[in-house]
Amino acid sequence: MRSDEVGEESRYTVRELLTEMKDISEVVVDLAYSSLIFDSQEIGQEVQHLESRVDLLNHEIKVRAMLAARNKEDATMLSGLLEVAEAAAIISRAAGDMVDLLEIGPSPTPFLSLVLKNAEEKIHLLSLSERSDMKGRTIADMSVEAETGMRIIAVKRGIRWIYDPEETLRLKGGDVLIVRGTEDGYERLKRFASGEEKWPEYPEDD
Amino acid sequence: MGLEDMLLEIKDTSELMVDLAYSSLLYDNQDIAEEVIQMHARMDELGDEIEELAIKRAIEDRDSPKALAIIRMSKSVRDISYAALKIAQVVRSDMPLHPVIELSLRDSDVIITTATVHPSSDLAGSTLGAVRLATNSGMYVIAIRRGRRYIYGPDRDTMLMEGDLLFARGPLDAEQYFQDLAAGDEHLEAKDLIR
Repeated sequence: MRSDEVGEESRYTVRELLTEMKDISEVVVDLAYSSLIFDSQEIGQEVQHLESRVDLLNHEIKVRAMLAARNKEDATMLSGLLEVAEAAAIISRAAGDMVDLLEIGPSPTPFLSLVLKNAEEKIHLLSLSERSDMKGRTIADMSVEAETGMRIIAVKRGIRWIYDPEETLRLKGGDVLIVRGTEDGYERLKRFASGEEKWPEYPEDD
Repeated sequence: MGLEDMLLEIKDTSELMVDLAYSSLLYDNQDIAEEVIQMHARMDELGDEIEELAIKRAIEDRDSPKALAIIRMSKSVRDISYAALKIAQVVRSDMPLHPVIELSLRDSDVIITTATVHPSSDLAGSTLGAVRLATNSGMYVIAIRRGRRYIYGPDRDTMLMEGDLLFARGPLDAEQYFQDLAAGDEHLEAKDLIR
């Protein structure tokens, strides 16, 4: 769905615009926290990129909604939809503001990082062992979130970052994953990622 | 509660609020939307306390950059809470939801659901670890509301009590069993409890 080509979004449907806005709003805050925890300008830049993307989509969806309304009933329902889009934009802007904290000076970030590290749903780094059977499989194949409760926020492959990875992304040995979820879910995912335990198979899933 | 704990609490709350807000929208669920609205009120109280405390500390410790960071963080978290509130208000309002909303949100097989622990449920009086809830039901409990208090990210030692409102995340097809387990309509078997 996501496209980095400017201008593309004018061809999106309202549904596609809202889906992408919602998807970004769900991952962008985690990325902002990750940038603070790992003191990473690189992740911070991605957050800013996503923030401006959502602004663009928010503008586009407003235009589309206005064109789509044929009567008062339509307009009323679409205004609710635009409220949701606006909420996604507010979330993305809030994430952008958090990332700006990286620039306040040397002292605040370690403090925030320390606080964030104590959060209940923690953000962790996890590397995928060559021995793990998660290697070579897609996120969708394994239903990683349904199985472990852990969300993969980003993948670092070599020097490249893949943010908010698509479900069709095939994992590779050596990938570093940024994941979030409960401590129990993390411990479990870590056993799979290290190759210590096999990824569970359910016959009916085939 | 210390400043750090309060900051963590509003952060955790804001995240749960966004998850719940989108879920309330997807399922047009008034109860979950109402929960979000309640949480927002609590966020406002806590946010004000945090910001005031941060200023007091800055005066005592002469550490203004730290206070600035805390206040700006608190502000961002409150913005997120406000965004969740806006979504919940769309659900709570009388206007019908646009059909495109549901289509746009329904993109994964993972859902958030709530369930109240009934006195006759196997969950009442057990720890999450003892009932191995995640393994047995497929649902991960992400938060618990006990009276007015929220427990975020419960672990295996967290005791579940009757009347607890559980917020859980997991696959759609696991929802019914989880609900039945909490309602006491479905019970765990001995083999489910043995490691």
